Amino acid sequence: MVCSEDSFVFPKVERARSRFKNALGKFKIIIDKRCNNCGLCIELCPFGVFKKGAKRPKPQNDHLCIGFVCRKNPYHCVDRCPKGAISLFVNPSFEILGDRRWTGDLLVSTWHMAETGSIPHQGLNYKTGDSRGGFDKLRFVFPEKLPEGTYNGEIDTAIELNRSNDGRPNVRIPIPLYLGGMSFGSVSITTMLSRVKAAAALGTFCCTGEGGYPEELIPYDDHVITQVATGLFGVREETIKRVRIVEFKYAQGAKPGLGGHLLGDKVTPRVARMREAVVGSALFSPFPFHSVYSVEDHKKHVDWIKEINPRALVSVKVSTPTDVDMVAVGSYYAGAHIVHLDGSYGGTGAAPDIAKKNIAMPIEYAIPKVHKFLIEEGIRDRITIIASGGIRTAYDMAKAIALGADGVCLGTADLVALECIRCHHCESGRGCARGIATTDPELSNLVELKWGTQRIINLYIAWREQLIDILRRLGMKSVTELVGRYDTLVHLDYVKKEEVRGEMED
Amino acid sequence: MRMKEIAKAIIDSRKDLPPGAAHINRYDMDIEEGGCGVTGFACNIPVSGRHIIEPSVQMHNRGNGKGGGIAAVGLTPEKLGVSREVLENDFILQIALLDKSVLNEMEARFIRPYFSVDHEAFVETVEDYRDISGLEVKPPDVKRYFVRVKPEVLDRFGREKGLQRLSLDKIEEEFIYQNSYNLNLNLYSALGEKKAFVLSHGKNMMILKIVGYAEMAAMYYKLENFEAHIWIAHQRYPTKGRVWHPGGAHPFIGLNEALVHNGDFANYHSVSEYLKQRHVYPLFLTDTEVSVLVFDLLNRVYGYPLEYIIEALAPTGELDFDHLPDEKKEIYRQIQAAHIHGSPDGPWFFIIARNDVKKGEFQLIGITDTSMLRPQVFALQKGDVEIGLICSEKQAIDATLESLFKEDPRFGKVADMYWNARGGSYSDGGAFVFTVKKDRNGGHTLECTDKFGRIKEIEQKEKPLDFSVKPSVLKREKIRGLNEIIDIFEENSTYELFRGITPLIPTWNYEEFQTVIDTIKGFAEKDQLKEKVIELLTLLLDMRYHTGALRRRSILQILTDALDSIFLKTPSIEDMSSTGYGKGINFETRKSIRPPRGEEQVLFADASRFPPEGDESFARLISDAYALGWKRFICFRHRGQRFLGCGLGPDTKGVRIDAYGSTGDYLASGIDGMEIYVHGNGQDQLGQIIKAGKLVVYGDVGQTFMYGAKGGEVYVMGNAAGRPLINAVGRPRVVINGTALDFLAESFMAGDPHNNGGFVVLNGLTFDSKGKIVFYDTPYPGSNLFSLASGGAIFVRDPYKKIVPEQLNGGQIMPFEERDWQLILPYLKENERLFGITIEELLTVDGVQREPYDVYRTIGAVKLSMLAGTALIANEEWEEEL
Repeated sequence: MVCSEDSFVFPKVERARSRFKNALGKFKIIIDKRCNNCGLCIELCPFGVFKKGAKRPKPQNDHLCIGFVCRKNPYHCVDRCPKGAISLFVNPSFEILGDRRWTGDLLVSTWHMAETGSIPHQGLNYKTGDSRGGFDKLRFVFPEKLPEGTYNGEIDTAIELNRSNDGRPNVRIPIPLYLGGMSFGSVSITTMLSRVKAAAALGTFCCTGEGGYPEELIPYDDHVITQVATGLFGVREETIKRVRIVEFKYAQGAKPGLGGHLLGDKVTPRVARMREAVVGSALFSPFPFHSVYSVEDHKKHVDWIKEINPRALVSVKVSTPTDVDMVAVGSYYAGAHIVHLDGSYGGTGAAPDIAKKNIAMPIEYAIPKVHKFLIEEGIRDRITIIASGGIRTAYDMAKAIALGADGVCLGTADLVALECIRCHHCESGRGCARGIATTDPELSNLVELKWGTQRIINLYIAWREQLIDILRRLGMKSVTELVGRYDTLVHLDYVKKEEVRGEMED
Repeated sequence: MRMKEIAKAIIDSRKDLPPGAAHINRYDMDIEEGGCGVTGFACNIPVSGRHIIEPSVQMHNRGNGKGGGIAAVGLTPEKLGVSREVLENDFILQIALLDKSVLNEMEARFIRPYFSVDHEAFVETVEDYRDISGLEVKPPDVKRYFVRVKPEVLDRFGREKGLQRLSLDKIEEEFIYQNSYNLNLNLYSALGEKKAFVLSHGKNMMILKIVGYAEMAAMYYKLENFEAHIWIAHQRYPTKGRVWHPGGAHPFIGLNEALVHNGDFANYHSVSEYLKQRHVYPLFLTDTEVSVLVFDLLNRVYGYPLEYIIEALAPTGELDFDHLPDEKKEIYRQIQAAHIHGSPDGPWFFIIARNDVKKGEFQLIGITDTSMLRPQVFALQKGDVEIGLICSEKQAIDATLESLFKEDPRFGKVADMYWNARGGSYSDGGAFVFTVKKDRNGGHTLECTDKFGRIKEIEQKEKPLDFSVKPSVLKREKIRGLNEIIDIFEENSTYELFRGITPLIPTWNYEEFQTVIDTIKGFAEKDQLKEKVIELLTLLLDMRYHTGALRRRSILQILTDALDSIFLKTPSIEDMSSTGYGKGINFETRKSIRPPRGEEQVLFADASRFPPEGDESFARLISDAYALGWKRFICFRHRGQRFLGCGLGPDTKGVRIDAYGSTGDYLASGIDGMEIYVHGNGQDQLGQIIKAGKLVVYGDVGQTFMYGAKGGEVYVMGNAAGRPLINAVGRPRVVINGTALDFLAESFMAGDPHNNGGFVVLNGLTFDSKGKIVFYDTPYPGSNLFSLASGGAIFVRDPYKKIVPEQLNGGQIMPFEERDWQLILPYLKENERLFGITIEELLTVDGVQREPYDVYRTIGAVKLSMLAGTALIANEEWEEEL
């Protein structure tokens, strides 16, 4: 399916509740034995927190509760309970949830969006984390009033991926995002399929990562990006021929200069078959391409893939060293359609901390550097910039675009949509309590495909709504107008938070 | 005067030189260029600049047309309008004028006050640069001066700079160096205005560079008829920006040397700092410039012999160091300690052309970095004319030879030897030097030596065929054995015919051999015999045998010509009237490709005019033809066309490609079932991710052979270069009859060879000039074998147990068992059938046939519990060990 603008219809949001009995939310509600099961609370709560129960109502959806601010509302259950049986408190689990980058607020709001497809109403900060840097220091400034005659119609969120005019097909995605590479082996087949199916439904793409191309993906070929990475695992001519985009992974922003490793644990029979390796024996991906030590080697490498698939677009994924701008120009001249900048904030638990936090250039510096340099070279409009590495929210996405990217690539956000709690045990086979980053059959059964697909669809539908809102407030018709508009952003190192009129106001 | 004092005096004399750009931002630098194509050759006779054009054109895809340059050393006085004496004694200042109005100022400040000028002229150019298609930026006007420093100037300079105790010629050289530095600093500041800069200033050498491809420099400055002993060229691939002047293009200069570079090193700042401490400042901000500055420093200032310079640039490491003799170890250790910070770190390959004024010799030098991260091929051809060549790609060497052959048939189209250098090694030092020396008869000879000065000589002294003489047609009866061959030709098998012919070859002269080949060729007129003729000539081309009084390279040339002429005679695909089993296709007729009809089986595809890659590429033609139903391909006249066999997709069993000529990179990559036979050497990156099928190479293979391979049955008659089979998984089964430079089967993950996994058989042999098998001293000289491997095995023929555990990093030497022998035996049998390398010979040690387990050794993976098990188990084991 090629999604032309006219024919494409976004999938519907369908509620996809937490797969656990009690979803994790910010607040917790307990109904004690004083309850007479009158059912008033069920009637009152507009958020559907309570469900009918035999002895007393069950606060089964207390993750939807808006908490203490409800006190002012006429429907505040705690006050209205005739028996005073309801108590509300902050969920102790919430308090230990998350980290500075992915705060509890962000995790819970992502779960909320994945469940409902809409913006959280619980008063959670769903826009920024608490990392004291990166996107968390950037804020949009919205004009208080847009001039008369500002566009008020439909807002276009689609972007083109092939801008080179080289005779290869144009590929248009209706939202400025696609899903990044997570290999089979590092995540379960259900996780992988959920992502791919969601990408297909959203008219965009999902990358296979470096672990081969499981057969289950074949129906979604048109929405798969297959990866050629340094280990060349699972790379075959037929997988390259099958897809519309091939991604060269030179480095990962989370661990530039380091290779990948799949510990023996994760090399199950299926993983081994896919990578044509041996069960239980560790697999290494070297950090460089041993056949590419210079730009003309790189060109040759790209030419090779283009030879195998004369219709595919080529994306070059690089980390963000200080000369990333030169790398981008080099990639363009080598014939790449997409340069994919992977910054240092991303990475699952499998990337070593020492690398994750200390090597590459922050993505918010890399994007404008590349954007500007490509403009100076006169080739910015002939290549697509995709940014990744720590894009957690719709606001991060919009900021990356305003800094100069055309679109973004996501990874961890998808896993969070599948209820990842960011426990950082991704590298070991039975480490993932949530059955996401595992190939253990028992654990991976914890995720259902339909549910997983819908959760991811819901999340990005919600993101798109937020993006449209941002664009509307900036008076723009299309997301392409936002590219490189640094003027819409301020950095909190230079402006006081209180002085910023913009995104955090509502 | 002691060397140390000379060095100190020269370094001190530069104290007052104003440093160039003191604070250089990485952003301002051109160092990101990385990639390039480099080529060079040295010849005992002066040859014209047009022959550097061909290899340059062949390597367009290694540059991007934003910078090209050439250098010539050992010039001819007539072309320059000076006497031989002036040519040999004067410095040739060649100044590029980016802004012509600066000429008077430049001369007034940097030429007239200091030099007596024996001759000066603008370098001749074509009238309009736009006449050279593709040249978009006007090259600079270049003025050339033949100069000596005025005696009074030299005297004053010596006194003022404290150099009086140096010999006059050394002071003069230093004057030239400092004057050029000042000129560049004042008229070409990398970050400021750019008006003029010194292209070259050495004796009997010159450099020209442009924004464009290298060959355009030769065309624009009309060098097609300009003659020199040594030529080097460089295609540049700067990734930065709009380039309007060629200041950053290679070659760069020291004093009497020009250097081109392929690569990009990581420690530019460290090297610059090292130079700064010695009052040497780069002005052009590329890593190439600092490389040649280091060379000049070590050469002219420190007075090191070439061997030590090479050691300082590419230090000997690891096991190779241990192999050095003690006295060398001592010196090398000192060199490394003193100069490691000036040693470029990262992928690099240098080609240097220089005039060794003191010895009156011209040299072409190729040096690879210790890890051999860039491709490099050396070649040597001896005979009436002698030539040594160094190139990024073998195909460019062949293109040079072909270009030379057209002008002067004393050059053969095939070199006597092609080889790679082993970086930072004890075996060859990772560098080779071609020296053009004067001989007693007023002419010149060419000598090839390695880093240690050991002469590399071709074994065959037989006179090569002079192709300029038209061979007289001989009567068949006069040639011993020919009639018998004719009689049995139709009935006997190809192998029988081959076995019948080869013993006769030593009895023939060139004319007789030529007649035999012509006669055999004649049989190809009959369609039913054509295949047999091709097979037989191909066998003669592929196999090693005693060639008697005939030089092997001449035989190869005769056979290649014969085969090409048969291939070219095949009726064209457009010729609808003809029937028969083969159809020919070439660049002109490529659009007429159609499905095979009737008896048609073989597509004879002439690769010669196809671009090396892209939509019009030869590889694309073959995959299109396959999609239309063709399965049998004879691909010939390759000139580096890449990706042959790629793109046909899965399950290509039954497809066979025979490839002749200089095939290109990535051949057979990703194949899944088909068979490819390479009749000659392969280039780089063959068999990437190969899945299944068969690849046979009747020669050597280049860098990262079978990287990430998953399977396939592969036979290599000769050597592999660096990193063969790195990251291979699955079940590749490979026989390498020669050896590898280093890093064989690193991160090999090919399972259990006895349970459907993969392995490499390494025989460590080569052939002598009589076609006999000779075993290398050690089957594998590299310091890294099977490093970090987690599966698979290497079965190495090593009867003297030369492989030591120090070479293995993660692997272990295990007993060679009967089941290992049973595993590899079928592959050795096929190897015998393909290459004539018999199992009997492989098992013969010191003339005695041994048991397999006395001859072969097994290298297998060590099970690392850290990697295999869970972290928990690893911890427990760790604790146990404690």
